[in-house]
Amino acid sequence: MDVPFPTLLLNLGEKMPGIKLYIGIWLGLVVATIMEVVIRSLPGPASVFLTIILLIAGVKAIAISLYYQNLRYEGIRLATLPLAAIIGIVFLAVSAGLTITMGM
Amino acid sequence: MNDDEHTEKSKSSYMPLIIASGVAIFLLGLAIYIPVLVAGLIIIVAAVYKMFKDGAAEKFSGTKETPEEETYPLESVTNEKLGLWIFLASEILIFGSLIIAYAYVRVNSGSWPIATQTHNVFLGMTNTIILLTSSLAMILSLYAIRQGNVKGLKIGLGSAFALGIAFLVIKLGFEWPELISKGFTITSGLPASTYYVLTGLHAVHVAVGLVAVGYLIFRAYSLGFTSSKHIAVENVGLYWHFVDIVWMFLFPLFYLI
Repeated sequence: MDVPFPTLLLNLGEKMPGIKLYIGIWLGLVVATIMEVVIRSLPGPASVFLTIILLIAGVKAIAISLYYQNLRYEGIRLATLPLAAIIGIVFLAVSAGLTITMGM
Repeated sequence: MNDDEHTEKSKSSYMPLIIASGVAIFLLGLAIYIPVLVAGLIIIVAAVYKMFKDGAAEKFSGTKETPEEETYPLESVTNEKLGLWIFLASEILIFGSLIIAYAYVRVNSGSWPIATQTHNVFLGMTNTIILLTSSLAMILSLYAIRQGNVKGLKIGLGSAFALGIAFLVIKLGFEWPELISKGFTITSGLPASTYYVLTGLHAVHVAVGLVAVGYLIFRAYSLGFTSSKHIAVENVGLYWHFVDIVWMFLFPLFYLI
């Protein structure tokens, strides 16, 4: 019987990376977490720590989204949903920051 | 009624709208009057029951899965996944707003306790690694079922579940009691209340995720997943990874900075 296998399911199978990549990402995330703790224990200005640690946290979040949530292989249209929410949060953060810096 | 009309009708449901209204009434009741909260809860439960009765249960069991009909409006994305991403976008707004509120309060506050002296960094780091490992277990379980490896799926889901439990045990069984014994309670000031609200909300999300993973385990042992029917594993995984992502920010904000 000639029944075509759904294209969607075929694509999902093809787009998934291998086990080695997943374990590599996990290792990288664990190392980054330990780095955050080590950096915090070093002497230096708090603002530098804040920037570096939050930068590492952001990179970790992006790595999880791209590889574990498969956004890298899903296409840009699906990624617009979380991106729209993130833009909203950035707008809120900038507004909050302005109220502080401008003394409102 | 022809087939097209039938298909169109089967996709339509007012229940999500009613559930959303129930949630709004529930939250309103939480703020103003408990009986309103109960009314909201009744609406939610009744609507969810009706939705399942209308056929969602058959779909979850895999007997009614028809991928060709479930990809509107994005051709390459199933409706379940699209709906889940809309939900996750709303979750980003909730956690993002709370984190910004926390940062705002902290910046405007005259004094704030030093994070590394108040919180147990080792336990926080351990919990971070536990969550990361549970995410790995979850993605490997999805990988396994896509290869048709049901045993691998069961091992992955079981590991993710056990690690989620371990996270909650460390959080609620060790960290919180230790903090409370030191007088760091939810009423002791802004540093404590912001900490308990954000980490508490995150813990609730982990608990909800555990229920969902528990459901997947139950299905893996009873109804079964196959290499072509495992959409629930993928969707629960997306949620589980999101919970992981939120913690990637909460850990440095509360334990390191």
